[in-house]
Amino acid sequence: MKEIEDFLRENKPVVKDNPTFILEARRRMEAVEGIKAEVDRQRCYGRMALIIALVAGLVLGIAATAIAFLYPIDADSVGKGVLDSIRLFLTTWKQYLLLPVALLAIALSLVLMSGKRGKSTF
Amino acid sequence: MNQERFISQVREQQEPLRRFLLALCGGDSALADDIAQDALVRAYVASGSFLGLSKFSTWLFRIAYNCYIDHCRKARPDQTSLDSAVTLPASETSDASFRYQQLYQALERIPEKEKAAIALFYFEDKSIKEISAILNMPQGTVKYQLSMGRNHLKQYIQL
Repeated sequence: MKEIEDFLRENKPVVKDNPTFILEARRRMEAVEGIKAEVDRQRCYGRMALIIALVAGLVLGIAATAIAFLYPIDADSVGKGVLDSIRLFLTTWKQYLLLPVALLAIALSLVLMSGKRGKSTF
Repeated sequence: MNQERFISQVREQQEPLRRFLLALCGGDSALADDIAQDALVRAYVASGSFLGLSKFSTWLFRIAYNCYIDHCRKARPDQTSLDSAVTLPASETSDASFRYQQLYQALERIPEKEKAAIALFYFEDKSIKEISAILNMPQGTVKYQLSMGRNHLKQYIQL
């Protein structure tokens, strides 16, 4: 066993001199620094966008609340008006509106049927 | 740790680190240097987590060993045997290069952990405690790996 130990100690692998090794390591570290800086910059942009969105939301919310308080409206009258106009539209155009609905239903049933047929072949 | 301090520490450790990886890579110095560069990048990225509780060299060797293990896992499917790669007739080589060839071939035949323990103990003169920290195994296991490694090498090296 002593012989093998002596052999190992006497025959340490010899490393070839590589003057570019440290230069290459330094170049890679510079690249890492570049990536780190870019990641930090992106993170900063993300944080700024978040703050801007927060501030904009607050400002718009306050403005909307202020307008609602300063110029109150009768919500019932607005609602009734909208519902009446929708009802009138449907009663006037119902025959033309039913046609695309029926076409859509037929197309959907055809698609579903073809899908089932496709599945059964495999 | 800033870049300059890191580089100065690396400058001191580059030769032992490259020698350790050279032994692990079976004498392939280009591959050993590639793994060493990867290890240095990983170490640099993680340098903030180095608290100085162990030696810088121990920490760096551990990262390098992990890089080597990662490389082995990736390279396993198309791994080529070193037996055929470095087999040269003894008469055509010098005595020293024949010994290195014999050593690398023998190291390639033994398990990775035994090879790493042998390289750290005999080539880098690391203590059992340091090897235990680098290879992340108990000191008793390191002694066992060294013993097994020596026994295996004895079978493959003609003295």
